[in-house]
Parts: sequence; C-alpha cells; structure tokens
Amino acid sequence: MADIVSLADGVGELVHDGDVVALEGFTHLIPHAAGQEIIRQGRQDLTLVRMTPDIVYDQLIGAGCARKLIFSWGGNPGVGSLHRFRDAVQHAWPVPLEIEEHSHAGMANRYVAGASGLPFAVLRGYRGTDLPEHTATIKWITCPFTGEELAAVPAINPDVSIIHAQRADRAGNVQMWGLVGVQKEAVLAAGRSLVTVEEVVDELEPVAGQVVLPHWAVTAVAEAPRGAHPSYAQGYYERDNAYYKYWDSIGRDRDTFRTWVRDEVLAGRDSADAAGDKEGVR
Amino acid sequence: MSDVTRAEIAVVAVAELFRGDGELVASPMGTVPSLGARLARATFEPDLLLSDGQAYLVDGDGTVEGWQPFRKMLDTIVPHGRRHVVMGANQVDRYGNQNISAIGEHDRPAKQLLGVRGAPGNTVNHRTSYWVPRHGRRVFVESVDVVAGVGYDNAAKAGAAAQRFHDVHRVVTNLGVFDFGGPDHVMRGLSLHPGVTEDEVAEATSFPVDCTGASTSRLPTAEELHLIRDVLDPAGMRDQEVPS
Repeated sequence: MADIVSLADGVGELVHDGDVVALEGFTHLIPHAAGQEIIRQGRQDLTLVRMTPDIVYDQLIGAGCARKLIFSWGGNPGVGSLHRFRDAVQHAWPVPLEIEEHSHAGMANRYVAGASGLPFAVLRGYRGTDLPEHTATIKWITCPFTGEELAAVPAINPDVSIIHAQRADRAGNVQMWGLVGVQKEAVLAAGRSLVTVEEVVDELEPVAGQVVLPHWAVTAVAEAPRGAHPSYAQGYYERDNAYYKYWDSIGRDRDTFRTWVRDEVLAGRDSADAAGDKEGVR
Repeated sequence: MSDVTRAEIAVVAVAELFRGDGELVASPMGTVPSLGARLARATFEPDLLLSDGQAYLVDGDGTVEGWQPFRKMLDTIVPHGRRHVVMGANQVDRYGNQNISAIGEHDRPAKQLLGVRGAPGNTVNHRTSYWVPRHGRRVFVESVDVVAGVGYDNAAKAGAAAQRFHDVHRVVTNLGVFDFGGPDHVMRGLSLHPGVTEDEVAEATSFPVDCTGASTSRLPTAEELHLIRDVLDPAGMRDQEVPS
C-alpha cells in the first residue's frame, strides 16, 4: 500500500542527493510542484531524466540541483529556448551540466525496457546520425533472426520517478486520464516513486481512457492541488500559456532567476514538517 | 496578384510538399508549415490527417475526427512510414543532414540547441522535409556540427537499416524549394520564389546549389489566397515568420 504523505515529506524521504530522478508527464500533468519542492530542499548532484525537459527542469537546473541531464528535447514549448539549461551546458552555471542526448523513441524505449525488467531496448533509429559518437548509451546489436544491425539502448531504472495525476484513493491507487506520456513506464521502472495528485478521494470513479497505477506499484502519494501548473490537469484546470511566456523573461537572466527562486520558491517554504535539509539553492 | 506576399508563396510551397501523400499523418512544425498542411488538406489533399499536436486528429477547422494520442505515434505511425514531418533546422548541409542539437562541440557547445528530439527516428522511418524561414549561410553550411536528421550520404554509409524508409523530401525556405536530386543526392533548386535570383541563393548558401533547372514557385490560386487570408490565418501570423 502506498503511503499518503505531504509533498515535503515525500520529496524529503524519497529524493536523495546524487539520485537518478525522472519527472515525467508530456505537456499535460507535469509535476511542477514536486520540482519546486526539490529546489526548496536543496537537493544536489541529481541525474535528471525526462523525454522533454521544459520549464520544470529549467528551474531545477538553474537552481543547481543537477549534474547531468538525460533527454531528447529541451525547450520552452511554443516559446523558445530554456535559458537556464543553455547557460548550464554552455557556461557551467551555476554548476556544470553533463548531457546524455537521445531521440524521443530512444528515451521511450529505455523506459519500456526499464519497466519490463529487461536490460536494454532495440530500435531502428540513430543509424547515420552523430549521436552514437556523443552518447555512450547507444550501441549496435545484430538481430539473431535477420542479421539486421540495430541500435540498442540500456534500460532506464531511475532511483525515483515522480509524476502528477488527477486522483488517488486512500490506499494509494492512482488514476490519471487525458493525454499521458510515459508516466506508467517511468513509475514501473523506478526503485521508488512519488505521485502528486490533485486530490485524494474515497473512491476512484472510472473515467474513459484512464490509466490506473495500483497501490503496490507506488511508494508514496502526496496531495498537491494545482501541482501541475503551469501545465494542465484535464478535468481540473487549463494550461497557463501566459506563464510559459513569462518564464522566458525569468529564465533569460541569472539575477532575475535568482530573485524568482528566492521569492517564489524558497518563500513557499512554509511546510514546517519537511524532512531533509533545507539549505536552499546554491 | 501583385500583392501576394513571400509568406503566402511559402505557405503554398509547403502545401505542395504534401501533394500525393493521401491518408497519412502530416506533422508540420512552425507557423508556415502548419498553414501549408491545412491548406493542402482544404484543397488538393483532402485525406491528409492533421494532429492537434496532442491527442486528436482534427480537420482543417479543428473539428475532432480521430484519437491519436502522442504515445501511439511511436507504436503505430512512425515505424510504418505513414507520416510526413516538416521540421525546422538550425543547420542543413548539401546532403540533407540536419542539426538541431548543438552548435560547436557537443560536450560543451557554443550554443546548446533544443536537442535531436525525433529527428534520428523520423528521417530513417518516413518522409521528412525541412522548413527554413531565413535562408542564409549560418543555416546552409558546408558540414553540420551534429547530425540529428540523417542525410543521404550518412544513410548510405549506415546501410540498409537506415535506407529502407529514408526519404528526405524537400527543403522549403523563404527563397525557394529545394530537393536532393542532384548528383550523389546533393541539394538543388527546384523552384525559386518570384523575384528571387540564383545569385541570391548562391550568396545565402555555403555550398554550391545548382538552380539552373529551377522554375518559379507558383502563386496561390484565388481560392488558396482566400483560404490563407480569411480562413486559416486572418491574424497574419505568417508574416511574423516570413517578413515581406
């Protein structure tokens, strides 16, 4: 049975310095509140994994929480660049950021392999590109049946995966619907998992197209209303498109960003029950 | 139709990319590619499937006509070739190699770009075209810094697995339409937009481009112009991507 915890306790207990951490959710249900809680608790040296690092990882990277990023696309959707991400890769600010670049299909297949308990996944992409030169986790394998040479990528098994869903029940069964990405695979592949939800309810009413994660596959559930903002939670709130544009003005400049962390993230440090250290951003 | 803008010519040129595609998923990225795909759908390619970018297939007006969540793209659409992507490119070379990963050394780049996203899979699994709103030497380079989308020379070196569905179709820019039908699959001019000269293209490209056989890109028909101006893009977003 999954534990129902506060967001601060969930992050405090499940996310450790140096962990491989995946925050997933594509366009929809992006776990922003959890990302900011990681900043608040001053986590460092994380290897961040995400198919499409957008604002949520720009914030973590700018706050100095990460030493490495495993990804396939890093941008501010519909707006442009992630300036904190670029500053980290190009100028090592605030700390150097190593990157491990894959394609979308490569990332998705790595999660599937991880969730399936297999050591690697096979795909036809990458041939002819320069990525195998730069990314050590792409190798070649010969199909034993056809002789075709294909790309092999290792399973991703995060120390902890964090996702946001619409609802959970009191046993910790999780329900999400609408546009889903690789959340299911990310959770099943992980050693530990934290699911933030809009609300904890007595009973999960079925919804068409739902994905249900059973309580035994989830370590902890934390209620975090509007926890996906500025992305959206279908059935709860819409995407805040203006925020994505606003983020460009925050992320573009180191000082503006630092002020934002101080005023908008660390100032929200009111949940006194948080476990773990609280040294804040470096 | 002397008042037709360069952006409108480009929209029609992108629409023409989809001619003959039939019932496949068009994945246009950017304003002009999106308008082009919707224009094609509204006129000569009525079977073209358009995504809302998330989970639905929609018609030109945005009416939902199918369920195509993003994760299904990798299960069913990409590996079976029933897709035509029109992507952007930070760099393109003469063989159609494309870079959206990094400028400079990959480990510590001068410019970290968005990342290869789906390009390595797209280019070896289905038809891919590129849209370049500002044709210039910084984009059309002698050699790309990181091969993200696979060009013809690298597909040949990589062998059968890469070549089976490899199909880098065209590049549409603010100056013209190009393909890779030259000797050894080098880029050549198919049509230059009205008013664009071969010298202008040569000046804006770091490698030689044969434009001797290039025609003039066609103008929109009266119906197409009406659709672009009054139905698909009344706010004139196209002019922000391609200033007149």
